[in-house]
Amino acid sequence: MNDLVTASSQAIQLLIYGDPEIWEIILISFSVSLRAIVITAPVAIIIAFCLSYYNFIGRRILIALFNTAMSIPAVVVGLTLYLLLSRAGPMGDLKLLFTQEAMIMGQILLCFPLLVALSHASLQAADRRAWETAITLGAHPFKAFFTVLKEAQFGLIAAIIAGFGRIIAEVGSSMMVGGNILNYTRNIPTAIALETSKGTYAQGIALGFVLLLLALTLNLFVSYIQGKGEVLS
Amino acid sequence: MTRKFDPPHQMKATEVNVNLEKVSLSINKQIILDNLSLQLSSLHSILMTGQNGSGKSTFLKIISGLLKPDTFRLSKSDTNKSWSASRKYLRKHFCYLHQTPYLFSGSVHDNIAYGLKQQGLSRYEIDHKVNEALKIIALQNLSKRDSRTLSGGERQRVAIARSWVTSPSFILLDEPFTNMDKHSRHNCYDVINQLIEYNTGIILTSHDPQNGELSFNRHLHLFQGTINEKDL
Repeated sequence: MNDLVTASSQAIQLLIYGDPEIWEIILISFSVSLRAIVITAPVAIIIAFCLSYYNFIGRRILIALFNTAMSIPAVVVGLTLYLLLSRAGPMGDLKLLFTQEAMIMGQILLCFPLLVALSHASLQAADRRAWETAITLGAHPFKAFFTVLKEAQFGLIAAIIAGFGRIIAEVGSSMMVGGNILNYTRNIPTAIALETSKGTYAQGIALGFVLLLLALTLNLFVSYIQGKGEVLS
Repeated sequence: MTRKFDPPHQMKATEVNVNLEKVSLSINKQIILDNLSLQLSSLHSILMTGQNGSGKSTFLKIISGLLKPDTFRLSKSDTNKSWSASRKYLRKHFCYLHQTPYLFSGSVHDNIAYGLKQQGLSRYEIDHKVNEALKIIALQNLSKRDSRTLSGGERQRVAIARSWVTSPSFILLDEPFTNMDKHSRHNCYDVINQLIEYNTGIILTSHDPQNGELSFNRHLHLFQGTINEKDL
């Protein structure tokens, strides 16, 4: 218990006094995950929209696949990507293994099905009359699409935040395809795993605090957004 | 691209005639609309009656280009036109209003301006038209009000004004008086009668025959997938 208290106070000191190594790790974490979510969100939302508003063969199977892929373990994504990107793998020539790009690819694969499934649920729940009203008032389908997104914005923002929450905290994929290289591919979760295995708990706890703080901030933001939606409706 | 602005009070729309041929739709092998043919003029104000589930809303959604029928032709000479070409024409001339109208998030002004923005009008023209429309529906004081805080009757009037400012040849009103009190109903009658005065074609669906408040000049009855002309 004393060890935990000591390590925690050391962790707070590390954060307060701006340990450069810790802040570099935090920066890498945010940079990688933000790039992954920015690339994934538009594609996922367009696919979710097509699944919600167009009837085509295989639609139900696709929805079931995306729902299933939501719970795919990060380590399985990491392993698959590792085999693809390793020198002997089919994408070995790209030399992406142990780079931030590989980490981004892993995180995209992780959050893509989650974003599609949650955005689809949000668009399905949105009022279909919004689309019909926009069209009958003369909007081009492209503009009507953005009108529908605006009407479903609360659910879509919550979906994006949930996707970001998943990838910022995942360790399996980042560890396997990023390689946990200091100042390059070491992010918060891989650093926590490393520091814990070394027995240097202070840095691990400090990074854990950052993740907890992030989770709290995201949840408060989602609550605020959802609350705003409720009040307005 | 901007259009020349004509104040609504000076607007008397020119007549548009639409000939619908072979309108059919089946859902799960049940015939909803059975090879209907109908001539429509924007000078007509039509009351369409029919029982629940007789296909009134379905018919309105088809002729407003929101729902694809099994078969459809715009006129006898229109043998080669695809549904997408017909749909484009229908969407240009017909504006459909849901039974419970959907108002977008934002103010009453934003809602009425929506269709005008799609037409690429300038901000000045949009504001002018929106203000004219607000006068007609007698809701000038609610211009800035959040649309989702309006009462049922106010929502319906805003939705009618929002359709009307886009100058469609026909406005299709799908049972607009459902769940409306007497006062709101009378306000809506006034607005709809004004549309008729401006030569906007009206098709209004209802379970019941008209009560004399609206100046219809045609009565259609939909029964078992077919349309019959009836006396008013």
